[in-house]
Amino acid sequence: MSDLSIVLRSLRVRALSTSIVIALVAISAGLLLAILSLRSAGQSAFERGTGNAHLLVSRDGSPLVSVLNGIFYANPPKAPIDAAKLEEIRSSFPWSMFIPMAVGDSYRSFPVVATAPDFFTKFEPVSGEPWIFAEGRPFERNFEIVLGSGVARETGLRMGAKLLVTHGSGKSREGVDEHAHVHDEYEFTVVGILAPTGSPHDRALFSDLESSWILHAHDRFEREGTHKTVTAADLTEADRVVTGVLMRLPSRDPAAAPPALVSQYDRLRRDGSITVAIPANEVQRLFDIVSSIDVLFVAMAIATLISSGAAILLSMVNSMNERRRQVAILRVLGASRTRIFWLVLTESTLVGLVGAATGVVLCAIVLFSATTWLREAHGIVISPELDARSAVLVAMGTTFLAAIAGIVPSIQAYRTSVARNLRPIG
Amino acid sequence: MSATTSITNSAPALEIASLGFRYPSGFELKLPSLTLAAGEEMLLVGHSGCGKSTLLQLIAGLLDPMRGSIRVGGTDIHALRGAARDRFRGQSIGMVFQTFNLLQGFSARENVLIALLMSDLPKSDAAARAESLLRSLGIERLDALAEELSVGQQQRVAIARALACRPTLVLADEPTASLDPENALNAVRVLRDACRDEGAALLIVSHDPALESHFARRERLEPCRETAATRTEGGAR
Repeated sequence: MSDLSIVLRSLRVRALSTSIVIALVAISAGLLLAILSLRSAGQSAFERGTGNAHLLVSRDGSPLVSVLNGIFYANPPKAPIDAAKLEEIRSSFPWSMFIPMAVGDSYRSFPVVATAPDFFTKFEPVSGEPWIFAEGRPFERNFEIVLGSGVARETGLRMGAKLLVTHGSGKSREGVDEHAHVHDEYEFTVVGILAPTGSPHDRALFSDLESSWILHAHDRFEREGTHKTVTAADLTEADRVVTGVLMRLPSRDPAAAPPALVSQYDRLRRDGSITVAIPANEVQRLFDIVSSIDVLFVAMAIATLISSGAAILLSMVNSMNERRRQVAILRVLGASRTRIFWLVLTESTLVGLVGAATGVVLCAIVLFSATTWLREAHGIVISPELDARSAVLVAMGTTFLAAIAGIVPSIQAYRTSVARNLRPIG
Repeated sequence: MSATTSITNSAPALEIASLGFRYPSGFELKLPSLTLAAGEEMLLVGHSGCGKSTLLQLIAGLLDPMRGSIRVGGTDIHALRGAARDRFRGQSIGMVFQTFNLLQGFSARENVLIALLMSDLPKSDAAARAESLLRSLGIERLDALAEELSVGQQQRVAIARALACRPTLVLADEPTASLDPENALNAVRVLRDACRDEGAALLIVSHDPALESHFARRERLEPCRETAATRTEGGAR
């Protein structure tokens, strides 16, 4: 028998109200923790996709738009970079990775990214996590295409399937946009399906640059009244345009930005004809913009937590009538006022602690279930991992709040009149 | 006044001198003197509202007198302050109430153990002490909750709790008021036997006249502003 067992038994005597309050605290703490975890997962999800690229060059209106279009495939970039400028940039520095991309076509609203083979060997969609092919291989010849995991899942396309891409982001012939221009002269064959990466690339298709150039050269010939099957030999310098370039500087530490990054960034920015972005910085900016909404959610969760503290206070104050008699008995048996104060305070603190711990477990279960469900049902890879630091902070904060809520009933217990409360009931 | 918590075996279990207490309502309790020797038992009778329960609370240190002194086992309980007085009460005074005041939700065993815990006595033999006391009083269902026990069993658990710390003095406040006459006498017999076995002095306050013939020493507390304990047999000292 100890003071703690008295507290536990006292809680058990009021099992129903104790359980309700603990559940309330658990839900509040779990909610706050879930929001904090999703918040960091959201940031992480934003950061995924920029991968190991140090720089992104395009002709979009701003660095942020450049990243939105070039990495998140929000819209097809409108202004291309011509071959001469591309070569100028390529030769201006010994880049360790230089991957041109042309985004503009689509398949059933999924963007088709025309790029170089290095895209699968040097670019990592998530830094430190290279591409993994769930099936097949990278494209090797013209009109071979690789599917992102989300595209494969949602379209049902399998290895060897044939597909036609659409100019622009309109729906293809399988879709609803009748005005979309389908490149129906050239059929692509699926040669590879990528494993999920949890990045925007999961919702894209990837083919080689030359195929893209051929499609658009064909359109040019058609417009000029020449009907022919265009090949690589027919391409001109004007056809060889891209919409963006992913670049990486040589670096000893793959995870750290190299010292030359800032100087190269500044040097490229002096060229007014291109837009240069450091994707990681732009993603942070983007997150800063959307994080104000998170603050609102966090504030609401904290308010819920505080209201659960008020529930502890109310529950304990309401139980004071029956508790006064218990306090009086303990005083007669030798308990000091201070000891009574601590017993009651321990009780409320314990409710907070158990509630917080339950909340953490609850949050972990919900996050695990949600993550599994999102991955299995929708192929969305997010990792809202339970941040240990957040969990400890939320648990400590909740327990502290419960202790604060217990002060008033503890004082009431401290001041309980023994003489008055030992009289016979009724 | 210097206080000591040491209990001298030769000291009386209870010594009251020139006690005066007044409620805010104006009711005044006066008791010039009362002494109870170690291991002695006494019945204090009086009508309802004459201050019997108040007197017990004064003796237990739950109320402070306006004047006079109360010594339990040689220690002036009101000279002790705060936790020291509470600890002294827990260790030296056992209390039995009319409605027993067992802790609901706690077993018979735990109700006794809590007394040992709250008095800060060594815990080494607490479990054995609680069990032997309860069994000696005929309680076999040690782990039954207080509210699951019969009235008679509850009273015996209350007696065991009062004696758990081997107190100098046991105070019983209307211990038979909730019982029928037959069970009342039986309950008092159990209480007296238990106190004798433990060597504790026993002070019972009651308004039940049926008990008077069973006690060699009886006192009457008069229901007046100038209250005095009038010796009927044995005498107040």
